[in-house]
Amino acid sequence: MNVCIAGAAGDGIRGAGVILGKIFGELGYSVFVYQEYQSRIRGGHNASVVRASEKEINSHGYYYDALICLRDYVFEKHAERLRGVLICDSSFGLEHEAKVEFPINETVERLNLPDISKNIAAISVFCKSFGIEAEVVKSVVRESLGKSAEEQNIEVVRAVYENLDISVGQIRRVGEGKELVSGAEAIAEGMLDAGLKFYYAYPMTPATPILHVLAADSRCVALQPESEIAAIMMAIGSAFGGERAAVGTSGGGFALMSESISLAGMAEIPVLIILAQRSGPSTGMATFTAQQDLYFALNPAHGEFPLIVASPLTIEDSYRLSGELLNLAWEFQTPAVLLTEKHITESHTTAKLGGVVKREVEIFRERSREVFRRYEITESGVSPYASPPALVKANSNEHDEYGFTTDDAEIAAEMYAKRMRKGEEIAKAVANLEPYVEMRNGKDWIVTWGSNFGAVKEVAEEMGYSVAAVRFMRPLFLPKISGEVFCVECNYSGLLSKFLEAEGVKLKRILRWDGRPFTPEEIRREVERWTE
Amino acid sequence: MDRISWCPGCGNFAILRAFEKASQRVMEEGYDIAVSSGIGCHGKISDYLNLPSFHVTHGRVPPFLTGLKLANPKLIVVGFSGDGDGLNEGAEHLVHAARRNTDITIILHNNGVFGLTTGQVTATSPKGRKSKSTPYGNPEYPINACQLMLASGATFVARVFAREQKKMAEVFYRAMKHRGFSFVEVLQPCVSFNNFWDLRKEVFWVEKAESVYEAMRMCEDIRACGVFYAEEKETYEDAVWKSTF
Repeated sequence: MNVCIAGAAGDGIRGAGVILGKIFGELGYSVFVYQEYQSRIRGGHNASVVRASEKEINSHGYYYDALICLRDYVFEKHAERLRGVLICDSSFGLEHEAKVEFPINETVERLNLPDISKNIAAISVFCKSFGIEAEVVKSVVRESLGKSAEEQNIEVVRAVYENLDISVGQIRRVGEGKELVSGAEAIAEGMLDAGLKFYYAYPMTPATPILHVLAADSRCVALQPESEIAAIMMAIGSAFGGERAAVGTSGGGFALMSESISLAGMAEIPVLIILAQRSGPSTGMATFTAQQDLYFALNPAHGEFPLIVASPLTIEDSYRLSGELLNLAWEFQTPAVLLTEKHITESHTTAKLGGVVKREVEIFRERSREVFRRYEITESGVSPYASPPALVKANSNEHDEYGFTTDDAEIAAEMYAKRMRKGEEIAKAVANLEPYVEMRNGKDWIVTWGSNFGAVKEVAEEMGYSVAAVRFMRPLFLPKISGEVFCVECNYSGLLSKFLEAEGVKLKRILRWDGRPFTPEEIRREVERWTE
Repeated sequence: MDRISWCPGCGNFAILRAFEKASQRVMEEGYDIAVSSGIGCHGKISDYLNLPSFHVTHGRVPPFLTGLKLANPKLIVVGFSGDGDGLNEGAEHLVHAARRNTDITIILHNNGVFGLTTGQVTATSPKGRKSKSTPYGNPEYPINACQLMLASGATFVARVFAREQKKMAEVFYRAMKHRGFSFVEVLQPCVSFNNFWDLRKEVFWVEKAESVYEAMRMCEDIRACGVFYAEEKETYEDAVWKSTF
């Protein structure tokens, strides 16, 4: 079942999508919630697409089984996708063969409630007409809204359930209740489980929700400094102090961090950067998803140094990878980038998070007379770590084993090579971490990366294609594939496609760069178009 | 370690010696110190001090120290910055660190010139000054570092002349012991590109002001030295701990 809730900014569309997602989750469904909104606070057009299935899903659908309109003018935008019931206010006078109308606005006004309660009223209309028990709706509303809004909104649910007597379907409980989590929450949780103590971020869509989640969590300190440069420099400061730190941003902010990423590479300071992609270049479309920054993430800064880049396939995977990358950053004392998308950070899904553990790293913290040999030349390239008050010297300049500045040719060459050797060790470690996912369904393939995976997997299973989805981008491990190959990406030139082509794979690109994520229907259409 | 690579007669030697003296005193009281420096001649001080250090990138000392101080609140953290490093590229960070009253000390080596890149003008160079990048004279007006810091909310603001090593050591000590954002501007002659050792005849000392406004007036004259202003205010770290846990 695929339900769209549409209205204006300020109508609580996002919240309504989350609540409806939780209701489906409570009834035991696997849920995915996609949020499409504009970069504005009031007016315009926002939509939340909630998909629920008995099978495990990681994408929303193109066609709607129900469309809930909180404004009359948004109907036109969605009418083409509606294959089921329209739910709206009785006064809208919209034309559609199957519809459930209810005096939503009047009810909210009569109860003397703020306009925002209309979203709860509209969800209640949906739930009642699809046979969901009032108690399920009430318990989710209670749990989701703050104490102050709770009673009022319960009142709305009651009013709708008492006065609406239409049945257009029956949504039954299919299993035990499931928790709904956002990508931002999953990423935050993964980092916390891996020992995150400090998170620094300048607000930038679509990474901002991670800051919000962590700021409200007492397991770590989350702060908002003056710029992205300050954010990553603070993270480097905390890591030098021996505590795990991370930053989060989108393309523009990542650009500002470039210099400091190079510093972390040179001084061998672990830092995790969450890069949540949105549509660019420049300010682009701030609230729309994209996969345009792959090459930027792989080559973010001057000089050569080991860098770890991985991109999660689902919200659940973003939990695992954010934790894994924080651990790897500390084990190899180098920066790591979680390359993700708006379609992960700002979407919701039913998932059970767990399994990430902090892998401890030894840190020398004793006072000493001798300068600590922080950059000892080792076979693996990894040297012992130390934090003040230990007499430890770190440096943005090329340095000797003790951290003192040098331009000696021999020492410089050795130190550079030592750092680079860590890259080989990282590759060995990553090889065991499922660098790409493979699912065999047939001789032909659909390849992808990032959040497209959910939609691709469904289509591939239906149509009998094998799936390969790349998770680790640096070090890069490409699947060995043959036969007919499609590559699905949210960018113009096919950034992953080019890597595969360099390996001799002939492929057909399925691309979009309009800021919208793929649905299974759209991918199927493209595959069929190519194979006609 | 290489021997010290500053030019003979450089004002940085005096800063190094005075800081060694002041840090010794602080450590004898049982504190641990960590330092950081930016890019420029001043930045080399990290290598020359027998203390934990991180020689970071241009202008980025204040946020680095903020992160370090948060991770280990027991440390006394001190940053060295230059006029180019702190007031050109890194001005934003200085202003915000002062505004937050982060418990760090910044020592700004002000020689009025980009020394290590051979003498271009900085944010503190006088208008009209000729350099390789301003052959027809500097078209920009200089900034007064102490005034900027006072206006930004720094809770300890001082200026010293590199010639007066004893007084400088005393001010460094007080700055480190001050809880909150401390800023010390050191007038540091650059023998190669901006030699103003002669300023010693003109430097004069003033007593601490009672208000920020009075302090602003006091430090207007670049030859005025002393602790212009000091007040106790909740630090950033204290506020963060209080609100997070």
